[in-house]
Amino acid sequence: MSDTLSPDASPATTAATPPDGSGGASGRRSGTASRAGTAAAGVLLLLALPFYVSSFWLQTGLFAMAAIVGAIGLNLLSGTTGQLSLGHAFFLAVGAYGYVWLAGDPSGTGSAQLYGLGLPPLLAFVLAILLAGAAGGLFSPISGRLRGMYLGIATLALVFLGHHIMLNARDITGGFNGRSVPALEIFGFSFSDTSPDGLAVLGVPFGGLERLWYFGLVLVAVAWLAARNLLRGRPGRALAAVRDSEVAAAVMGVPLSRYRASAFIVSSMYAGAAGALLALVFKRVVPDHFGLLLSIDYLAMIVIGGLGSVGGAAAGAVFVALMPHLLTKYADHLPLLSAPGTTGSGVTPGDAARYLYGAAIVLVLVFAPGGLAGLAQKRPRRTGDGTRRNRRFPFRTRTTSDSNPQGVEGTTPKEHTP
Amino acid sequence: MSSNAAATTRDGAASPEPEPKPEEDREPKPVPTLTVDALTVRFSGLVALDNVSFTVAPGTIHALIGPNGAGKSTCFNVVSGVYRATAGAVRYAGKDLTRLAPHRIARLAVARTFQNIVLTHGTVADNLMLGRHSLTRAGFTSTALRLPQAVREQRRHRERAAEIADFLGLGPAFDKPVGSLAYGDRKRVEMARALCMEPKLLLLDEPVAGMHPTERVAMAETIAKVRDALGISILIVEHDMGLIMRIADSVTVLDFGRLIADGTPERVQRDPAVISAYLGTPAQDEGTQP
Amino acid sequence: MIKLAETILNGLALGSVYALIALGFVVIFKASGVMNFAHGSLLLFGGYVMARLHDSIGFIPAVLAGAALAAALAGLVQLLATRGLRGAEIHTLTILTIGVDVLLSTELNRRVGADFLSMGDPWGADVTQFGGITVADARIASIAVAVVVISGFFAAFRWTRWGLSMRSAAADPEAAALMGIRLDRVRLIAWCVAGALAAVAAVFLAAFPAAGLDRTTSQIALSAFPAAILGGMDSAAGALVGSLVIGLTAAMAAGYQSELSVLGSGFADVAPYLVMVLVLLVRPTGLFGSKELTRV
Repeated sequence: MSDTLSPDASPATTAATPPDGSGGASGRRSGTASRAGTAAAGVLLLLALPFYVSSFWLQTGLFAMAAIVGAIGLNLLSGTTGQLSLGHAFFLAVGAYGYVWLAGDPSGTGSAQLYGLGLPPLLAFVLAILLAGAAGGLFSPISGRLRGMYLGIATLALVFLGHHIMLNARDITGGFNGRSVPALEIFGFSFSDTSPDGLAVLGVPFGGLERLWYFGLVLVAVAWLAARNLLRGRPGRALAAVRDSEVAAAVMGVPLSRYRASAFIVSSMYAGAAGALLALVFKRVVPDHFGLLLSIDYLAMIVIGGLGSVGGAAAGAVFVALMPHLLTKYADHLPLLSAPGTTGSGVTPGDAARYLYGAAIVLVLVFAPGGLAGLAQKRPRRTGDGTRRNRRFPFRTRTTSDSNPQGVEGTTPKEHTP
Repeated sequence: MSSNAAATTRDGAASPEPEPKPEEDREPKPVPTLTVDALTVRFSGLVALDNVSFTVAPGTIHALIGPNGAGKSTCFNVVSGVYRATAGAVRYAGKDLTRLAPHRIARLAVARTFQNIVLTHGTVADNLMLGRHSLTRAGFTSTALRLPQAVREQRRHRERAAEIADFLGLGPAFDKPVGSLAYGDRKRVEMARALCMEPKLLLLDEPVAGMHPTERVAMAETIAKVRDALGISILIVEHDMGLIMRIADSVTVLDFGRLIADGTPERVQRDPAVISAYLGTPAQDEGTQP
Repeated sequence: MIKLAETILNGLALGSVYALIALGFVVIFKASGVMNFAHGSLLLFGGYVMARLHDSIGFIPAVLAGAALAAALAGLVQLLATRGLRGAEIHTLTILTIGVDVLLSTELNRRVGADFLSMGDPWGADVTQFGGITVADARIASIAVAVVVISGFFAAFRWTRWGLSMRSAAADPEAAALMGIRLDRVRLIAWCVAGALAAVAAVFLAAFPAAGLDRTTSQIALSAFPAAILGGMDSAAGALVGSLVIGLTAAMAAGYQSELSVLGSGFADVAPYLVMVLVLLVRPTGLFGSKELTRV
């Protein structure tokens, strides 16, 4: 431990040895080996799944993958930056419709006419993500200036405006009945049941879902790693500082508006990717899917998973995305449930799923504020920006004197003790 | 003298371009003078600062003292851009700080600590690396993709942050969560984070409040060492009179938002106005601040 | 001209209903710093109670019972929030209300089903005509009731002990607590008041020309969010102004639908949100909301 501080003459040449030997970005090394082992096993399992499970599971899994990508994005905004958004569904819609419009071929005539650019599908997929980012960027006069809950309500507008546009811009969106989604294709290899026809790997027929499964895995991996890198790097620290204390962040040189807007754009791009993947799995996009309920689903995912953690967001996404499908599939075998379409007195699986996750939100917040991620780590994690009350995390004291002139010296009576 | 001139160089280029220049481009420049000129701050009719002027000479420790409610913290908040001034100016490095947003002021290598500890969640290293924000430039894309320059930059600055942590005796705690640290250590993390900005002007808001006597002595030595080793200016608000008299080169005394004395510690100590307004108060109020 | 007058009257009626809801948002926000996303469900709950009870106990007692039960339910939510999340953050509490809303709305939607429940209100489909203007009696009643209830609210806010406690708690919770104000109780009352206001609003959202209470009634309540935000979340007067602006906007957009056909069908539903975004662009904390005290 040195007790002198030399001027920072040239950081490029000083200090050849890393402070703790790791020299890496995180410095956390404990248990890395066993964690890597678990991760590798998990990846192998995921890679092998299409050979063993039915298309129901593949489709449900793909829904979960789309949810994971979207939830990681919302988590960067709400969990890391402390900005609430109810507009996530809008950006999913931009990604989904963006892909369809960019990749789709023009069709129909008269009132049924649909426009489409007919771009190569992979290019369209990437452009759809950028389009969602651009839509998020257009909202930056709002997203950069509004904070926390004000932003939450303002983004409510996006969902309703988006829905309105989806219904009315018929020649792009297909209106109420939506529009069918062109299959993804990479250099002539189609992620559908055809072209190549009858593709089989190791004797297992590889149709659209099997092929998309691997595309989904790659997308999730990229989304996950990018988010983790962001959080461990300079932007992630700045975003967390914006959440924890705006005053401290600004004084450390973080331009608040720019970072708030940037977090919103990044989150929109993740939503765009999720939406485009969702479109590929559904094979049809309809406006009603992208309503307020979808936005609330995503909030539920990141809360249940644990705000601020990438892995938590993914876990929450899997929970919320799988629940309705599983309950529907096993409705006959579960007590109190009635299968959809039947007139039994039981709860429909859709309602049951909503009860479950509504209860999950409440229970998680009341009993395990760190969410699934917090439970996994067995130590309290924090959520939100916490400038008001912070008894659970006493190390960050109130910043009243910086944010509230009423509380600063000047109103305090002067002390004149003899 | 030093290459911490980060700010002064940047300052010339700051206005046209939003991103700071990489530090390699910086050349050493002298520490600028801070001039507070007829500063007035009013909050809805209440005068917190009334026509206050003083100058912080380069490379000195300048203390700002006064009873509670004298306007010291307000003054800090204006200099660091957190509050807007009603009238007057704060001149530094050819700029009027009252016209700049806090993050622009930070790019002029003005760093501050907070009276109430304001750390972000995460490890000591995370906090110190936040202090490097203006000195680094890895953006969203290069960080997300782990481009080589972003990785290199992060590693290089982490080394410097570790060096600063060592200097403040925080070396062993570098990778620990700040939440697990004792009060005195967290206070030092604040100081270390400010130093990580390689400041030319350091604003310390009650750096030893609430500390043990031994910690106070160590912190006082650290502050003096920072001045001597780096040659930077330090503006300090502190209630510990003993500490101020020991390390300050000059002292400004505020009372009810007005300046009542300005000069060397010895002269201020003998000033009748100061004695009646302030020094009559025994040093008991030390440590009463949280 | 007559159409304009009718549209304006409709707008005022709608605005008065929004005001009842938006005031609830503001009261809860001032007391707890929370945006209550469960408000729509509280409203639907109050309305559901009334719809179920009015046959057996009469309209007025049913309204009182609905308001009382909605107030009690709102109080329960607040108790859950404070008991469970002592010391938690405002965001967390806001998201908690979303969880509560999911639970409540699922249950209520299941009970209401696809039906339109009659509220048993005395106005029915009656209309009043004066000077060529035709207005539904229910709309006139909504304006009258809103004026009375809101005046009562402001009087209470201004002159009662609770109002004083409430205002000081909103200004500085810690100082208020030090002065002996029991924050938990102030918050509890605030939530109860908001719940009762929402239940009263339910009567008029379900009254003519609406077909009755149905599962979408709670979504109409969402339009009060723009109203509250527009005025500034921490300003009760702002909520009134915001509600009138939003009510008039919605009524105009609906009344002149054919003239606005360029903007697509169903534009009336999104117009309030559009107005909100435009106002927030200019004033990020609404028309009367407290401005940011820090420059950062």
